[in-house]
Amino acid sequence: MERALLLDVRDLKVGPLDPAAAPILDGVSLQLHASEILGIYGESGSGKTILSRALADWLPETLAYRGGGLSFAGADVLGRGRKSTFRAGRDIAYIGSKPQSSLDPTTPVGSQITEKLRSVRPDWSPRDCRDRVIQWLGEVRIPSPKERYWDYPAKFSGGMMQRAMIVDAICAEPAVLIADNITQPLDVTIAAQIVTLLHDLCLRLKMATIYLSSSLPTLGQFAKRTAVLHGGRLIEEQPFADLIARPRTDYTRKAIASVPRIWATSEGPLARRVSHGEAPLMRVEKAVRTYKARKRGTFNTFSHIQAVRGVTLDIMPRENFGIVGESGCGKSTLTRLLSWLERPDAGAVALNGVSFADLSERQLINKRNEFQLLLQDPHNALPPRTTVGRMIEESLRIRRRTPAKELRAKVSAVMSEVGLAAALYDELPVALSTGERQRISIARALILNPKLLILDETLTALDQREQSKLIELFSWLQQKNDLTYVFISHDLAMVRRVCTRIAVMYLGEMVEIADNRELFFDPLHPYTKALLSAAPTLEEKPLETRDLLLEGEPPSPIDIPPGCSFASRCPHAFARCLVETPALKARGPHRLAACHLLDAPALAAE
Amino acid sequence: MLILEFLVKRIAQGVLILFITSLIIFTLLRVVPGDPVRLIVGGMAPDNVVEEVATKMGLRDPIIVQYGRYVGKLVQGDMGQSYLRPRNGMVATGGQYIDPTKSNMAPVADLILERLPYTLQLGGLALLFALAMAIPIGIAGGLHPDGWQNTLAFGVQSLFVSLPNFWLAIILILFVSVKLHLLPALGYKGFSYTILPALVLAVEITPFIVRTLTTSLGEVMQANFIDEARVRGLPRRRIVYAHALRNAATPLINLLGIQLSTLIGGVLVIEYIFDYPGLGDLTVVSVIGRDFPVIEGIAITTSAVFVFINIIVDLVAYLIDPRVEL
Amino acid sequence: MTVSAGALAADEAGAVSQRSRSINRRILGAAWSTVAFKLGFFVFVTLLLASLTTPLLSPISATRMKVHDRFLAPLFLGPKWEWVHPLGTDQLGRDMLMRCLVGLQYSLMIGVVTVLLIFILGCGLGLFAGFKGKWWDLAIMRITDAQLSIPMIILAITILGVSRPSVPNIIIVLALSGWPLYARIARSAAVTERDKEYVRGLRVLGASDWRILVLFVAPNILPPIAFVAVLDVARMMIFEAVLGFLGLGVQPPTPSFGSIIADSRKYLINAWWIATSPGLFLALALTSINLMGASLEKARNRIFGGL
Repeated sequence: MERALLLDVRDLKVGPLDPAAAPILDGVSLQLHASEILGIYGESGSGKTILSRALADWLPETLAYRGGGLSFAGADVLGRGRKSTFRAGRDIAYIGSKPQSSLDPTTPVGSQITEKLRSVRPDWSPRDCRDRVIQWLGEVRIPSPKERYWDYPAKFSGGMMQRAMIVDAICAEPAVLIADNITQPLDVTIAAQIVTLLHDLCLRLKMATIYLSSSLPTLGQFAKRTAVLHGGRLIEEQPFADLIARPRTDYTRKAIASVPRIWATSEGPLARRVSHGEAPLMRVEKAVRTYKARKRGTFNTFSHIQAVRGVTLDIMPRENFGIVGESGCGKSTLTRLLSWLERPDAGAVALNGVSFADLSERQLINKRNEFQLLLQDPHNALPPRTTVGRMIEESLRIRRRTPAKELRAKVSAVMSEVGLAAALYDELPVALSTGERQRISIARALILNPKLLILDETLTALDQREQSKLIELFSWLQQKNDLTYVFISHDLAMVRRVCTRIAVMYLGEMVEIADNRELFFDPLHPYTKALLSAAPTLEEKPLETRDLLLEGEPPSPIDIPPGCSFASRCPHAFARCLVETPALKARGPHRLAACHLLDAPALAAE
Repeated sequence: MLILEFLVKRIAQGVLILFITSLIIFTLLRVVPGDPVRLIVGGMAPDNVVEEVATKMGLRDPIIVQYGRYVGKLVQGDMGQSYLRPRNGMVATGGQYIDPTKSNMAPVADLILERLPYTLQLGGLALLFALAMAIPIGIAGGLHPDGWQNTLAFGVQSLFVSLPNFWLAIILILFVSVKLHLLPALGYKGFSYTILPALVLAVEITPFIVRTLTTSLGEVMQANFIDEARVRGLPRRRIVYAHALRNAATPLINLLGIQLSTLIGGVLVIEYIFDYPGLGDLTVVSVIGRDFPVIEGIAITTSAVFVFINIIVDLVAYLIDPRVEL
Repeated sequence: MTVSAGALAADEAGAVSQRSRSINRRILGAAWSTVAFKLGFFVFVTLLLASLTTPLLSPISATRMKVHDRFLAPLFLGPKWEWVHPLGTDQLGRDMLMRCLVGLQYSLMIGVVTVLLIFILGCGLGLFAGFKGKWWDLAIMRITDAQLSIPMIILAITILGVSRPSVPNIIIVLALSGWPLYARIARSAAVTERDKEYVRGLRVLGASDWRILVLFVAPNILPPIAFVAVLDVARMMIFEAVLGFLGLGVQPPTPSFGSIIADSRKYLINAWWIATSPGLFLALALTSINLMGASLEKARNRIFGGL
């Protein structure tokens, strides 16, 4: 059956306005027919976004088309005259990767979508448009669409906003949809929902879709036909399964190889077994932290944000302890408690048997020698306008115990230990890569000879290569200095690779704690299962995404319902879950999980 | 509900500010040298007469007592009576002794109410002129940050802000009124007497509006949602006027409240130069004549207007952009 | 959230390229490259030098009255003029050019000293309030509110209207009216900095609030404010002129722009130059300062916006 050719791109070239500058797209050709779904893989910096914008005739002011042709439904788009009926928003729709900043923050979301609909479909009546929008908002699973219609963008979470942007794109019934990296800012379980949702909609509405992503596994969920963008061209195009099995170009081969493997082997970092009588290095006991935020517009009413709700952990010496969870689970707050940047409202945090709360200011500064925190964003975590050497010196200068002469020697020593060139001592860190900046953070922590290092998403901003290098550095330092690590992250692949024991956090509580291998291959808690199934990989998964797809979003930490906090989204929740909060109980040697399902052996059989 | 709570809170705060301001002015007047009584009875009067009158007027009591008495009357709506102006409107000049303890002096509240409308008219017209000048230039400058429009906006703003208001007033009086006979200048005999002073005041206000509008509009136009509105199919006109301007207006409105202070200063000087019968003129004369009750009354009125306008400004800001903290 | 292709590519590449020149130098460089700044700078420097040197070198006095020479018009512009008085003379035969230059001296001095005072006082209190928060913040902000609700003019008239205005008094009154704005700006900048990651990083290392504030936060916040403070020199000069006009400024026989213009009102029709030349002088000085200040502000916004 011949399907209509909707988008015909021939040898498209796009580059900066200055003709001498190198082109960004250098001869892209593709054809898109009605109801077809095409996936395009391009890593960061490959020009993916420029391509997606070029296809929608939406280039930024600093770029221009340099050659080639682009036609929509047979009519030339680039050279079109005033009589052309091509209209962005109606014929071609675009969904981007920054949903939070895609709409005017001062106008309600629903009105803006209706406004768009009225602009591109002027022949539809205003009432009709509004009804359609509300209906679509319901179809994308936004709860209470009639009320949410009038909410402002700030009240929408990332996932909700992306759903709204999907409505914005498809409500005008475009012939072609371009989705550019739409899951990049989202958490893993939410991203899984959005991808499934959009895929279903595309099939249902028979929209021709181009789906661009920098994550190969996500493409696999979405498209059959897949192309690879590199060097400004589409260098290869095959059905997805064939692309993975038999890539034709080296670049594709390397890209496939760099996707981290979670399930490929069942090996992993072995947990350190506790020798008898050994005390934990850090012990957290029933830590609770609640924030008070003034309710907008009122004088004295506060809402209570329960960020951490009773966390108990033991971190043993020389292990790599991982804490995973999605945004909103409270791991950032927990990090602040562990590093004693904030005090818990109840409960205690103790290092080597000494509770932080018992220490005076002076003693606390001394105690800080034993544990340090490394932050995520190396650009913002380092003080601006300070040289590398001075930054590292600061740790010692605060304590005022090192005479000036020795400072330089000590700092240089630790710089070489972490792999920073000695010449960088008096340089500003402006030209350094992300990996090198992280090394500065490591150096200024290491110079205090800590026993415990807490890493807050420290490896998240790095690409695979730099991540590997730093992981090597960490294990070397661990051997040499007898260090213990706590990794806090949402990146399951990294945690799988590095951590010996892992805790899963949800809405301020720990729901499961287990050794690496057991957590990944034999998860007990439903949330862990959903999380693992949603993690994008190229391999065969022991858990199928579709079976474990979660509904909706986590409840707000202000309004946590009684009982199990996961009950609202759990596919197996039963009566007891809504009433009684499950306790974190031992379910086997060195395994803890908090779920009522595990208590009743009959129901646990799955 | 939200708005109601906001209003209650702000009005309460406003009353507090009024009290603090009046207390400051009250104390300041009595602490700084310059005895009003001496001005009233004349430089030649013997000291004991001065003392006697002062005591009868209550000016020798401790400041707290005086203030308490003042607030007591204030709450009943009585701002006291002028030291200098009798009811029939003529200002006492040196040499003529008019006993202020007799109650035929003009009530302060009347004096103020009489003059307030003139000042409000001046301010309103000036604002109108300023907006008419500043908004087109500001928008053009913001939409074309690299074009001649921006340079024009920059030039206008730099020029206007460098012209001292009193000097401009004199120049305009000289050329427009005296040499060209286009508009009347001094005093007030009809609405047209407001135009020239309003123009001078407008020149004072315009630079700030142009500057803020150009900068904030320029920034908003770079925002992601403005860019994306294009591919969503919104026409340019709509993008700029319904969305960009809305977002750009917020910083403008926020700063407006602070600018008010400067504005009041400008009004004062201009009324003085143009002999315009508003509150400003009254203020200058009263301060030089040490007419305490009038000064205090004006201070309170000014503060009240200030508070009121700030409340309106915050409310409007919230209506435009609901992210604003009320 | 800028949308240029450069920003898109940078987003995608994941690495932000930065030039290694310090930010302040870049702002100065960007401002210097504009015509406006250069124009303002040269005019200003010329006026400054003229006002400082000419009264010292020239034999003509700004205050000596020569009744014989009253009402001389500026060069070429009236019935009677002389080379030795290029801008004419006033009603008492005093040379206008000299009077303007001396007036400019005082104007500049008061303007610069006041702004320095405002900057130190305002930013000091503002930084402290913003960084420490809670009680300090509340108290200092309420004081600024109260101060802001008393317009400068009223304060000035109240204080200066009765005592003999001297240069220190004028500076104090102007400073009192100007510091709250700087306190507010410094405070909001401090509040933003306080939540930044690097502050957290330093706290974890054990640094105290004071240390962080003085060594890291202040050097970050103050330069951008300082650049814009240039504009306020002009604002203070205008205030000083207004005070002079009302008779509350620098007292005669020392010339000051405001008082000259105030006196000139009587002779407006016959000797219009007595009013116009000081105004022109002042406007010229102010425009040059404003051009410099506005260029600096524009450069600052552009560079900080792009970061």
